[in-house]
Amino acid sequence: MSGGEYLADGKNQSLFKDKPIKILLAKPGIDGHDRGMFVLARAFRDAGMDVLYAGLLPTPEDVVDTAVNEDVDVIALSLLNGAHLTVFKKVMDLINKRKIDDIAVVGGGTIPDQDKPKLEKMGITGNYGPGTPLKVIIDHITERATEARSRKNRN
Amino acid sequence: MNVDELFEGIRKRDLRSVSRSISIFEDDLQSSKADELMKRIYPITGRAHIIGITGPPGVGKSTLMGRLSKRMKETGKDPALVAIDASSPFSRGSFLGNRIRMQDSLRENGIFMRSLSNRGFKGGLSLSALGAVKVLDASGFDPIIIETVGSGQSDLDIISIADTTAVILAPGLGDEIQAIKAGIMEIGDIFVVNKIDREGAFLAMKDIQDTLSLGKSGNWIKPVIGTNSLTGEGLDELINEIDQHKKFLGNGSGRDTRPTSELYLLLENRIRKLIESYVSDDESTADIVSLVRSRKIDPYEASEAIIRKSFGHVGKN
Ligand code: B12
Ligand SMILES: Nc1nc2c(ncn2[C@@H]2O[C@H](COP(=O)(O)OP(=O)(O)O)[C@@H](O)[C@H]2O)c(=O)[nH]1
Ligand SMILES: [Mg+2]
Repeated sequence: MSGGEYLADGKNQSLFKDKPIKILLAKPGIDGHDRGMFVLARAFRDAGMDVLYAGLLPTPEDVVDTAVNEDVDVIALSLLNGAHLTVFKKVMDLINKRKIDDIAVVGGGTIPDQDKPKLEKMGITGNYGPGTPLKVIIDHITERATEARSRKNRN
Repeated sequence: MNVDELFEGIRKRDLRSVSRSISIFEDDLQSSKADELMKRIYPITGRAHIIGITGPPGVGKSTLMGRLSKRMKETGKDPALVAIDASSPFSRGSFLGNRIRMQDSLRENGIFMRSLSNRGFKGGLSLSALGAVKVLDASGFDPIIIETVGSGQSDLDIISIADTTAVILAPGLGDEIQAIKAGIMEIGDIFVVNKIDREGAFLAMKDIQDTLSLGKSGNWIKPVIGTNSLTGEGLDELINEIDQHKKFLGNGSGRDTRPTSELYLLLENRIRKLIESYVSDDESTADIVSLVRSRKIDPYEASEAIIRKSFGHVGKN
């Protein structure tokens, strides 16, 4: 335990040395179900992450540009409109085209079980739907973010 | 990416290198890499005009910045943006919400913008902002516009790294404006009343003008501009005033104090970190703290004791 935690019950943030996990939440498609985004944004912030939200109707290009300029560790793609197979793939294609291997991509929303292996194969993991405990989501993201971060910091 | 690659990337304005370099200045665990990188880029900085945007939360700073950068781009400038959000006092996390307000302007015009969390840094300005500004400067962006957290008077550090500081206010701040004026009137070079579409804008502008006329006036006469960031009204005037202020500084009428004030900002921070590193990870500090908890000693004595045990040798010869 660090002195900071002794001094202020762990609330003295200036003593945290490492950069928090940075995550971009995005709905890259015509999907106005934003309630889940706010639930996740809040949960991620409370779990100590720096959270960005891509706003309404970003294109796959917007998502990747924002992720690069903000140097995020994780892109969290969410769709409840059923278009995940095509749209998530577009994001992945851009990432591969730009040879980005140090940003993890996770997915979620209303994703039928039979689609999950297809997304996994593209490199999109998680793919959690309604009712998933937040802890499960946060643990998974932390794991993926840690991998991404260590790739960022290699020389 | 190693420092050589990052440096090359910055010079070629490869955005992945630019943004990765900024991250390095955000991460204390990489401070030796940050030191090395700063050494490389500092000699090629100093070309960009640095504009600080400050003012209370909700007055429209982010919206204005988006619009302003778009307008600048249209008039042939090459802006890049940095916006600082406050981190949660309860987790170290943050919601980086400034971006959402400017996303559309950025997207349409391909403008580089980076969000930073202040991570509890008290001055309202993340220390990493200084690193970010240097990186962007080195890759040739000009101007660089920084939005502060917006906690009013505690944002004063902005003057340490900005050439031109614009203070943004809006009608309807009520009595709050009196408190704000106390600290902020001195630091602004340009005053903006945003949301002129709202009632009370004219009075707010007049109020600020009156307050400014009471203060000491140097050679630079501080303008008060009305803007509407939703329509873009008044932004050309704002750009013009920024250009005028830049010219004013260039004439040598304003002294170039930025390198010195930046240095002090850094020194202050390094010293604070040094103190923290002495105080933390130490069993005897924990013992002292538990003595305070059990009310055996008071906090004044405790802080004295911590300082003495950590820095006892300092200054005693
Ligand atoms: C509330 C709701 C609405 C509200 C949305 C309000 C808002 N601003 O969000 C309103 C009424 C506006 C609405 C409209 C529509 N809806 Co609706 N809606 C729902 C409903 C009932 C709940 C969604 C919700 O808010 N859940 C609560 C939040 C917290 O959960 P969540 O979003 O699922 O997110 C959680 C998880 O999924 C997961 N998660 C989500 N994303 C991600 C991403 C990552 C990376 C991870 C790790 C996890 C993760 O974590 C979140 C937190 O636990 C669902 C049914 C359902 N049970 O899901 C239908 C549902 C999503 N809607 C549906 C439809 C069809 C529509 C409409 C097209 C209806 C119409 N014909 O007009 C419109 C489209 C609106 C639009 N512009 O997109 C369908 C979609 C079917 C499909 N996939 O093909 C659903 C599934 C209902 C159904 N069974 O038919 N809807
Ligand atoms: N009416 C009006 N609203 C504005 C104007 N500029 C910004 N806003 C709104 O004010 C709110 C706060 O804006 P934001 O840019 O986030 O303010 P910040 O906290 O100072 O960065 C948003 O809802 C904006 O849409 C303006 O000129 N007029
Ligand atoms: Mg803002």
